[in-house]
Amino acid sequence: MSEKNAVQANILLGLGLALMIAALYLVFIYVPTEESMGDVQRIFYFHVAMAWVAFLAFFVVFVCSILYLWKRVIKWDIIARSSAELGIVFTTLVLITGPIWAKAVWGAWWTWDARLTATLVLWLTYVAYLLVRSYATEEFRGARFAAVLGIVGFIDVPIVFLAVNLWRTQHPTRLVFEGGLTSPMLLTLLVSVAAFTFLYILLVIQSISLRNMETVVRQLKDAQANPGKEQLWTI
Amino acid sequence: MKELFTRIFAIFWKDILSELRTKEIATSVLVFALLVVVIFNFAFEAGADTTGLVAPGILWVAFTFAGVLGLNHTFASEKENSCLEGLMLCPVERHVIYWGKLVGSFTFMLVVEAIITPIFLALFNLPIFMPRLALIIVLTTLGFASVGTLFSALAANTKARDIMLPILFLPIVVPIIIAAVEATGLVMDDKSWGEMSTWLQVLIAFDVIFLVASAFVFEFVVEE
Amino acid sequence: MDNLSYLFAAYTIVWAVIFGYMFFIHQKHRRLEREIDLLKEDMHQRQTD
Repeated sequence: MSEKNAVQANILLGLGLALMIAALYLVFIYVPTEESMGDVQRIFYFHVAMAWVAFLAFFVVFVCSILYLWKRVIKWDIIARSSAELGIVFTTLVLITGPIWAKAVWGAWWTWDARLTATLVLWLTYVAYLLVRSYATEEFRGARFAAVLGIVGFIDVPIVFLAVNLWRTQHPTRLVFEGGLTSPMLLTLLVSVAAFTFLYILLVIQSISLRNMETVVRQLKDAQANPGKEQLWTI
Repeated sequence: MKELFTRIFAIFWKDILSELRTKEIATSVLVFALLVVVIFNFAFEAGADTTGLVAPGILWVAFTFAGVLGLNHTFASEKENSCLEGLMLCPVERHVIYWGKLVGSFTFMLVVEAIITPIFLALFNLPIFMPRLALIIVLTTLGFASVGTLFSALAANTKARDIMLPILFLPIVVPIIIAAVEATGLVMDDKSWGEMSTWLQVLIAFDVIFLVASAFVFEFVVEE
Repeated sequence: MDNLSYLFAAYTIVWAVIFGYMFFIHQKHRRLEREIDLLKEDMHQRQTD
């Protein structure tokens, strides 16, 4: 890694860390305790922040899938795949923190509430995105199929949320989180979103560079296996 | 334009003929759908008072699973007999194949549903003639077929074709399953059009969006 | 479990998963770097032969 890259990477890392520390401070020290739910409500900030970042990640998958099918340059597929993996990690965390919060506040792990239910469907959609790569017969096919899924899946997202919300209004439960956001809460939420967005960017860059390294390894191994073959690139 | 329809019809007719000759898929899917209805009836212990609650769900679970089976078949035989390559060699645009296959799966599912629905309604002691239910079924099936045809082609090119289709397909169609079940429930309770209209709008929106999207994206699935 | 325990559990899991993922990436990175170095060395060896 060149000197400039290393410096840039460190700056990003430092910024990300600072943001996360700021978020933690806001969540645990600055924002006042919510009256109806108590301290457990603080889960909300990271829970929602991760949900937004997951959504961002899947949007990136959508855009990169289109770009990949259009331009056929492998880098778009690499970005899409890394973004999808991270999106699933964050969605999983949303699906874990949500029930923990629900259990603490309402005594039930899962209430089929609109947002969590839609998030679950989202999770299933993008797990399918990764599965289709493993089950494809060749890698380039897997990439193509995944791109199709990345596009169709994302188009489906608003419809899923709409349908699930309508469904919930037809059959309301008593377990709903009401209440607006006071400005300290809003600030805390925004900083949390920023912190997690940074984290996402950092991790996605790492993941992409890993994939690129894998490509280099493959090329090197290929050169090793075919020593006479003309080298089209220099190391 | 007329040529487009002729081509679509040609693909559709080929599928109808091959199906009529063997009848293998139609009968098995029909029997399967019926079995699902019966088994789910036991699963939910539908007594007289709870019938109204579980009936819509049972109907749509049966149609969903039967639909998956039918959709699997849409491209399975093409793949097995290398017909897909043959189709691709025809000088037609890719989305024509999509439309042709779509009409085929849509018709197939509709036929199965047309047979199962009266039986289902009789089993649950509901009025047989329900035009609004017919509308819901048509709209939902169109949604199933639109996305299902796309994913059937996709799954046919993977290693575990039979399990891949439901994994891909089911999360995407969750919205119309919800809409179908809710709307069916409203119809069975004899509620007004107004209440149903939101769900119909969801169905129509889904159909329009995914017919366009699937047709557009289909060529990327079958290109070689 | 009281309120705070739930809060603790939630945040612990979030951090455990994130750190786990970062650790996994780090390990993979080191392994790939080593592999690339080995392969490069091997390549230079053969070029000088």
